[in-house]
Amino acid sequence: MNNIFIDIDYAQIFKHGQKIGGDVYLLSKSPEENHIVSTLSDGLGSGVKANVLASLTAHMAHRLSFSPIDLSHSAQIIMDTLPVCKERKISYSTFTIADIRYADDLEKIDVNLVEYDNPPALRFRGAEPVSWERSKTELQREGAFKKEVISHSMFELEIGDRLVTFSDGVTQSGLGKGLPLGWRLDGVRKFIAEEIEKDPDISSRELSRAIVQKAYSLDGLASKDDITCSVIYVRRPRRLLIVTGPPFLKESDEIMGQKIREFDGKKIVSGGTTAQIVSRVFGAKLTLDLSCWSKDVPPASKMEGIDLVTEGMLTLSKVATILEKRINPADLPNDPAKKFVEMLLDSDQVHFLVGTKINEAHQDPNIPVEIGIRRTIIGRLRKALEDIYLKETSQEYL
Amino acid sequence: MKKSKVKVRICLGTACFVQGGADLLLYNDFVDPAILADCEIEGCSCLDECKVGNGSAPYVSINDKIYSGVNQDMFCKLLAEAVKNA
Repeated sequence: MNNIFIDIDYAQIFKHGQKIGGDVYLLSKSPEENHIVSTLSDGLGSGVKANVLASLTAHMAHRLSFSPIDLSHSAQIIMDTLPVCKERKISYSTFTIADIRYADDLEKIDVNLVEYDNPPALRFRGAEPVSWERSKTELQREGAFKKEVISHSMFELEIGDRLVTFSDGVTQSGLGKGLPLGWRLDGVRKFIAEEIEKDPDISSRELSRAIVQKAYSLDGLASKDDITCSVIYVRRPRRLLIVTGPPFLKESDEIMGQKIREFDGKKIVSGGTTAQIVSRVFGAKLTLDLSCWSKDVPPASKMEGIDLVTEGMLTLSKVATILEKRINPADLPNDPAKKFVEMLLDSDQVHFLVGTKINEAHQDPNIPVEIGIRRTIIGRLRKALEDIYLKETSQEYL
Repeated sequence: MKKSKVKVRICLGTACFVQGGADLLLYNDFVDPAILADCEIEGCSCLDECKVGNGSAPYVSINDKIYSGVNQDMFCKLLAEAVKNA
């Protein structure tokens, strides 16, 4: 698995009273080609008309980015296709395209950024704003009253870097209310730097939401325009190890302990017998926490060095069901399955260490509930994590 | 002299939990509080009794003596007895 993770998310609030937005954000990942394209487009006006135009632009930008045509040329094609408003003599929609390509090991991440009429994107290294050179291309289109300027830049993103793009709904928020000229780029930059300062590991999801919420509150909770913000954040992946099932051979217990010890990230041990083995190998005391359980899920235990210790098959199948049904963890009863799901959703890469010994006690036909086969349940978990939550997963047997 | 508390361990391994262990965990609701006051109840992830094959789940250990197929009524009686004899 890669040692670098690109965390991308966005947040959006439509103009007050609109059910549809004139800002359109598109994100495509093509892992086979090590290629990600993030496009933000703002259509002139708001509502349906703006949405149609912005969608048109964003999709064109997207398609063209995945084609072999170079990005400046693509931008020109889009500009030539975009209609010019008859009354205002300005173009119908704006765009920011971040075309991200990376090497297989992600050690080098190249960004190709094309911006047209959106507020300029911001870059941060840690909490420090970074400025960079942009080259400008001028285009004179028929019917337009001024030359259009497309700016283009290329740079590398390193660990800890963020690229933030947003629509003018963000920079112009508060206009005429608390702030005579709106929030403005400097205000946004300062806010983002402060947010990162407060929480250096803030996720793209949280940061984009914080920015959008701030703009919304500056607008007096009745947004004047569509507010959209996307964040691209390059960081070390958050890893999670799930150990379940005793190893097939007793001699492998030590190997399992070794693997748990060496793992860099959070750790869950799922399974009573497994927990006892780990407790023995680690020489750590295992205590059951009777405060946190429910009818379907037995209580969790506590052990030093392990973040969560749960029962095995019942908890795992409950977790698989929760993931498959896309239930929000906040709506779950306070039991070990909830903690398990929260830890899964907070991770980028999940590794399963699966012991293959069969538990005779589970083979009793009198058991009232169906206890599945470990391998099947791990399969369900991995599928849900990859397909629904876009996590990377891997697995090994012991 | 103060009596030492009765040590109770309820097995909460998967097999025991689904076959009645979960009901025993609700001990606060059905055991006399006076008796509970003299007991020290904890859960454990497996008493390893299911692998031996005598008796049926759920297993409970009271002062290190194993009881099998324990239900709520039986649990009350066992605790009362253990507290009396302590």
